[in-house]
Amino acid sequence: MHAVDGIDFEVDRGEIVGIVGESGSGKTMTALSLLRLIPEPGKITSGRILYGDKDVAQMTDDEIREFRGNDVAMIFQDPMTSLNPVLRVGFQVEEAMAAHRRFTSQQARDRVVPLLQRVRIPAAKDRVRDFPHQFSGGMRQRAMIAMGVSNEPSLLIADEPTTALDVTVQASIIELLRDLSRELRAAVILITHNMALVASLCNRVIVMYAGRIVEEGPTRAIFKNPQHPYTWSLLRSMPRADEVEKERLISIKGMPPDLARMPPGCKFHPRCRFRIDRCLTEEPPLAEVGPGQIARCWVLMKNVENPEAEALK
Amino acid sequence: MSAEPAEPAVTPTHDPTLKKPLVRIEKLVKHFPAGLGLFGRAVVHAVDGVDLAIAPGETLGLVGESGCGKSTLGRVIVRLLPATSGHVFFKDVDLTAVRGEKLRRTRQQIQMIFQDPYASLNPRMTVGDIVAEPLRNFGVARGRKASQRVQEVMRVVGLNPNFVNRYPHEFSGGQRQRIGIARSLVLNPTFIVADEPVSALDVSIQAQIVNLMEDLQSKFDLTFLFIAHDLSVVRHISDRIAVMYLGKIVEIGPSHAIRDKPLHPYTKVLESSVPVPDPDLEAARKPILLKGEIPSPVNPPSACRFHTRCPIAQPICSEVEPPLEMKENGRFAACHFPGQL
Amino acid sequence: MAQAAPVAQPDVDLTYEVPEQVTLLSDAWRRLRRNRLALLGGAIILLLLIVAAISIVWTPYPTWLEAVGPTYQPPGAKHLLGLDAAGRDILSRIMGGALITVQVGIGSAIILSLIGIPLGLIAGFYRGRVDVVISFFINIWYGIPDLLVALILVFVLSDALHLIPRGVFVIVVAFALTRWMDMARLVRGQTLALREREFVEAARMSGARDFAMLFRHIFPNALGPIIVQATFAIPAAVLFEAFLSFLGLGLPPPTPSWGAMAADGYHGMDFAPHIVLAPTLALSLTLMAFNWLGDGLRDAFDPRMRR
Repeated sequence: MHAVDGIDFEVDRGEIVGIVGESGSGKTMTALSLLRLIPEPGKITSGRILYGDKDVAQMTDDEIREFRGNDVAMIFQDPMTSLNPVLRVGFQVEEAMAAHRRFTSQQARDRVVPLLQRVRIPAAKDRVRDFPHQFSGGMRQRAMIAMGVSNEPSLLIADEPTTALDVTVQASIIELLRDLSRELRAAVILITHNMALVASLCNRVIVMYAGRIVEEGPTRAIFKNPQHPYTWSLLRSMPRADEVEKERLISIKGMPPDLARMPPGCKFHPRCRFRIDRCLTEEPPLAEVGPGQIARCWVLMKNVENPEAEALK
Repeated sequence: MSAEPAEPAVTPTHDPTLKKPLVRIEKLVKHFPAGLGLFGRAVVHAVDGVDLAIAPGETLGLVGESGCGKSTLGRVIVRLLPATSGHVFFKDVDLTAVRGEKLRRTRQQIQMIFQDPYASLNPRMTVGDIVAEPLRNFGVARGRKASQRVQEVMRVVGLNPNFVNRYPHEFSGGQRQRIGIARSLVLNPTFIVADEPVSALDVSIQAQIVNLMEDLQSKFDLTFLFIAHDLSVVRHISDRIAVMYLGKIVEIGPSHAIRDKPLHPYTKVLESSVPVPDPDLEAARKPILLKGEIPSPVNPPSACRFHTRCPIAQPICSEVEPPLEMKENGRFAACHFPGQL
Repeated sequence: MAQAAPVAQPDVDLTYEVPEQVTLLSDAWRRLRRNRLALLGGAIILLLLIVAAISIVWTPYPTWLEAVGPTYQPPGAKHLLGLDAAGRDILSRIMGGALITVQVGIGSAIILSLIGIPLGLIAGFYRGRVDVVISFFINIWYGIPDLLVALILVFVLSDALHLIPRGVFVIVVAFALTRWMDMARLVRGQTLALREREFVEAARMSGARDFAMLFRHIFPNALGPIIVQATFAIPAAVLFEAFLSFLGLGLPPPTPSWGAMAADGYHGMDFAPHIVLAPTLALSLTLMAFNWLGDGLRDAFDPRMRR
């Protein structure tokens, strides 16, 4: 079963790339692969993960441990389970630094409070000695982010960082991520199912479906001019917060495919309203469809006349 | 304090823009015991005095963040939880005063759609039995008639009626939610409370269910109370929206009016925080960031509950609780300074 | 409000996505099958049941009869397990003992469940005062030294009050009366957890009355742990009976209870070990088998494997 099949992308310093997909799209697996954190019995079967000119996929265990937490930091979705409930928060942040020996233990200890303040935890000096359960969800996520940026990583991977949070808290976490990425001049990969978040934070968007990239491009292009039917349908299926009169949502019929039993040809074709015969047998390659934009489709939305009418039939 | 108003304030249950309301909720309170506090029994003020009216055939959206009490309110309305005090009138019958068999009978007209498609279906029952259960419990139909009704309602929600003998775990999340909807429809109810019906589903499936609910509403003349935290979805499906904060309703109004001109500061903050899938609009949007955290419902702030975090709070806000009353036609807000943020 | 729009089209059941028909029970069975020890245990229990059934109509030599040969005769061609202190055929008595074991084991599990399950359901479902009372009794009962009380119960019921004659039934009743709390406590815990689940709320919205809630919704979903508990109760009951019979306080002679047989052979351990060995091995094998099966069942029913 291929959770991820033939993924190919780059991220530069200072860029914020969003990977969007629903459950089963392979987006989380991609992120975990970057850090070689794939749960057993899965494994990377082929390909390279180049960080600078080092291949992560070929690293030894020691090298990988250096890599994780030092050059790359990952922020997970559920801050409740990623923090150790029996250790004080300040201690955990300190540990994150001490583990990588970039700072002496005294330096690490000194950096904790400023770090917590940097992620805008109020009364940081007092809260250093608190336990995770004394923090709210939003604050826990900030603590996770503090741990993540403590070693000044050049790559930050955030996997659904705000999914478990209220919308007002989400807004402040996103602001924080935006500011931090600018300060650190880090590359950021934001993984989410929420396209609206991507619109606000990211320079580039990668859309995944069934373990593949189906479209990629600059944010504006993807939102204003989506070429892949999945991207287009996804955007049309979301109620727009600024809609003026009631437009019927265009839903995507069916369900995402079972990764163990994928259809032949284009993986999206069973649910696609715009498919042609070729889609059932041949899987399209990623091809350039606009400046900096690629899509994996034989048809392409620009070749469809009046797609709304098609979709509402 | 404030001068005597010229005319009595209008509460949501006396909204002149609503024709005869189907559901009227008056001063509904629900407290939970929370163990021993410092000065005696501590209490969670989950729902702390709610007034609401729902017109027949409309969809009233109820939004709020976690801990605001919206799910609790939904459950108290349908009497899955007993109210601590207050009244719920359904077609002028006081549900809070009814018990036992009579209460059971009202369930034929009031139903609920649950949030978790994985937990709201009994894993040991076939789909057919699950959908047929209400029919059996109320003696409405048996045997062949029941199966026919089950198949009919499954078709209506878009499920293949051949799957009556399958078990819930064989279906996807979206399909399970349809099963739950079918179950709620089988008795031909008038009023349905939907508690976060699409929150646990993928985005592309959410649209399917939202469309389905809209179709069912027009086909069967249903009234919905749509509880959710996702403002975009709520606004899309609702005619009016009620915003909840820490156990109280802070604003009620038509969906688009709430967005275009929010009266209560909290509503404005919520609106500004919701991301929009449009990069240009997003670049222009400046979310209003709230300081502090949501206070604990065990010890809510005095007077206006929002005053501890409100960007335009004034001294009066911590002294006098603003009542939820009509500020403009059909628009209610609980604020001393509506529309000023 | 939306104007009348066409109802959503039914989900087209595309051939790539036909859900496999798999029930929860078949899934549990599949997992059980992979557990070798559990299967071994199951096989032994099956053997036990077959032997017990056969013994009703046939044994190589009638079990109750007196001598069929010289006493203490070691195992040989004619008597595969030898003869005991009274010259009776051990193999036949083992078979008869199998029937006793099955009766005691399954009987105890059943009566224990009949007492414990309803009490647990009621305590967990209604909570409040009912729960306080039942939990109080459960806790009191735990404080009682069960073996002692069971002995006393057997004595009182059979010898003192002559209510139930000495035999399998009184032992089963005595055991069940002293160990029902395990089942009740388990079921209470399950009920407390299950009653908060959404499908139980949904059942209430569907107009289910309390009885229906308990027996159609809560009980079936607690069945897994209940079965495991009952399975573990069986070896406990069997051991209990064997112990009583060993002490001479259980089934009256010449009942071929394995415990009694071990008691008989105890004195001859030096020169005729086969008399003690046979029933002891049979007992050990049976107890292990039930424990293996119980462990296997517990793993098979574990909800954590859910998709």
